[in-house]
Amino acid sequence: MKKNHRIVFGVMAALLTLALILTGCGSGGGSGSTTKTFNVGFGGPITQGDVAFGQGGLRAVQLAIANANKSQEAKDLKIQFKVIQGDDQSLADVGTTVANQFVSDKSMVGAVAHFNSTVSIAASKVYHENNFVQISYGSTNPALTQQGFKNVFRTCATDDLQGPTGANRATALGFKSVALIDDSSPYGQGLVAAFKDQFVKNGGTVVYQASTQQKQNDFTAVVTKIASVKPDLVYFGGTYAPDTGAGALLCKQLKSGGVTVPMMGGDGLYAPEFISGAGATAAEGSYATCPGMPVELLPNGKQFAADYTAMFPGQQPAPFDAYAYDAANAIINATYSVAKDLGVNKVTSPAGKDALIKAVAASNFDGVTGKVSFDSKGDPNNKVITLYKVVNGKWEAQADK
Amino acid sequence: MNYFLAQLVNGITLGGMYALIALGYTMVYGVLLMINFAHSEMFMSGAYIGLGTLLLLSNAGTQNAICKVLPFLSFFKSLRSFFTGSTVGLIIMFIIILAVSAVLVGCLGMLTERFAYRPLRHAPRLAPLISALGVSIFLQNAFLLWIAPNKPFNLPAVVAKAAIVDLSGKNLSLGITPLRIIIVATSVILLIVLDLFIARTRVGKAMRATSQDQDAAGLMGINVNSVIALTFFIGPALGGIAGVFSGAYYGTVTYNMGFMPGIKSFTAAVIGGIGNLRGAMLGGFMLGLIESLSQAYISASYKDVITFVILIVILIFRPGGLLGSSVVEKV
Repeated sequence: MKKNHRIVFGVMAALLTLALILTGCGSGGGSGSTTKTFNVGFGGPITQGDVAFGQGGLRAVQLAIANANKSQEAKDLKIQFKVIQGDDQSLADVGTTVANQFVSDKSMVGAVAHFNSTVSIAASKVYHENNFVQISYGSTNPALTQQGFKNVFRTCATDDLQGPTGANRATALGFKSVALIDDSSPYGQGLVAAFKDQFVKNGGTVVYQASTQQKQNDFTAVVTKIASVKPDLVYFGGTYAPDTGAGALLCKQLKSGGVTVPMMGGDGLYAPEFISGAGATAAEGSYATCPGMPVELLPNGKQFAADYTAMFPGQQPAPFDAYAYDAANAIINATYSVAKDLGVNKVTSPAGKDALIKAVAASNFDGVTGKVSFDSKGDPNNKVITLYKVVNGKWEAQADK
Repeated sequence: MNYFLAQLVNGITLGGMYALIALGYTMVYGVLLMINFAHSEMFMSGAYIGLGTLLLLSNAGTQNAICKVLPFLSFFKSLRSFFTGSTVGLIIMFIIILAVSAVLVGCLGMLTERFAYRPLRHAPRLAPLISALGVSIFLQNAFLLWIAPNKPFNLPAVVAKAAIVDLSGKNLSLGITPLRIIIVATSVILLIVLDLFIARTRVGKAMRATSQDQDAAGLMGINVNSVIALTFFIGPALGGIAGVFSGAYYGTVTYNMGFMPGIKSFTAAVIGGIGNLRGAMLGGFMLGLIESLSQAYISASYKDVITFVILIVILIFRPGGLLGSSVVEKV
């Protein structure tokens, strides 16, 4: 089944690319339809890298677009939206190429772009130079919005919150000593640094600290070291996937290397693929913090989850999917307001792009992750971090004590 | 002391895997004087094929579409419960997985040689090198799109279970597992067999002759094409076996899993003296140990820096590698 699915997906992707090229050529010549179609870019790891987060985000944006196209507001303004996919493969250079494609698209109003912090930060320069709305749905490294770029936003909370929250929860759970590992990514290093500061302030001790490499698969030497220093907790700053930070492999090797204490990490571990990659027995008891609340506990979350599963049978929305959904809606709402102020045809003009950025900055609506609004840097005002634990092979939200 | 021994075990296991891959690099280089950059993808293909065979033979694969369409499924069912039910069955299954992987990857290697390298045999030396890079990218993307970017590879518990070595009743917990013993033993045994094969058999003699001078070997009645094809069967087959080991040991297969081990093993082959089988083995184990001990005693973050600095130092003092003889280029 899975294989067939892949082949079908591959063929469809090829056809889609072809269709996009053809329609791209075609629409230049003939217009005359009264409804204007705006493109919304989605950039994330779709075929390689942290694909669980990329594919989920893409589904959420597709859902947001489908809902917008059905809405009365879009019909009144004679606007339709279309998703343009950009596969950044969790790689900064590929993400920059995607950004260049997006900014050269004359009918694109903005991009829900990039999951990995490395990719978002690299691509943000391109978006900034072109005065183009970028809303990241998953990049939690604080540096992204500290560059002073007015066009860059994110819907998820940052590591400077996630790290300390993780540390406070770890202290509350009774962990006194920790071994710190990061995956050498800006995301992982930022997370570990923030965790360390707070954990030491709380009176905890760091017994070992090391960096591993991206795509590393052998952690046995590090694991043996950790086993010999006997910490209460192993904190890992990094992502789960074997072709990025390989957190799932580290977790598996920790358990087979005789380290019985739990592993904790950030949102990069919070995916079902972490559990399947490490194996349910090894993953059991692991912790991860993740910005936002579980979808099912949010006021608008139930409707979102139901729509999501209706549109993509067999799929459940993850927290980052909710952020991607809200990011897409921020772009859609901004498009509506600019279309009303300047007229539909001016939305993607240089003046329209300025107006789009201002409109996104002024966002204030009830999203599925709570109230969506941004501070002066472009970070969300809504900052909630939830701690999850693997219980019986599934991530489960842990109540704050 | 225990900590040191445990790190030695880590390093030797890693070294065993590097050595197996390095043997493939060095064999092809010995015969064709060509660096087969697609070799790391032979390693990756081996892991994917091994995983496929595991899913087919074990109960873990009942959901697999291929298993459902097999007409002799009921026969398969009893076979499967034998494979996953007992330790003997597990060992037999593991041997079958290794054999299937080795044979299929060997065939893949021969196909690569036939279609990507043989047409370029008399072309400038850079041409087959570029062709090899092309094959490498082709195979990576083929597995990425055809199967999945990454999949968990879970051997049934008995093979992976830790056997703790007890000495005078004390738990040393060196982390010596059956799988680690199998990895190291297989690579050592395969080296000895290969060494004897090349030194003692007629085919081995033909191989040595081809490596010295292809044209002269052809004039002596040696079928150069089939000797080269055989080289491209054995080398990739060893890489395929290493791939299964890596998949089983780390519990995952990834379409780009061959990249780092490929580079490290190539380094191992160069340290040992490329073209020299024993050198590849020595280089592999050395590299594994250096990597593991530098992580243990210096810094985990700088392990690759340390490893490659040592490589540079060795090459400065022995440009031909540890066991290689520096051959003067004949013009």
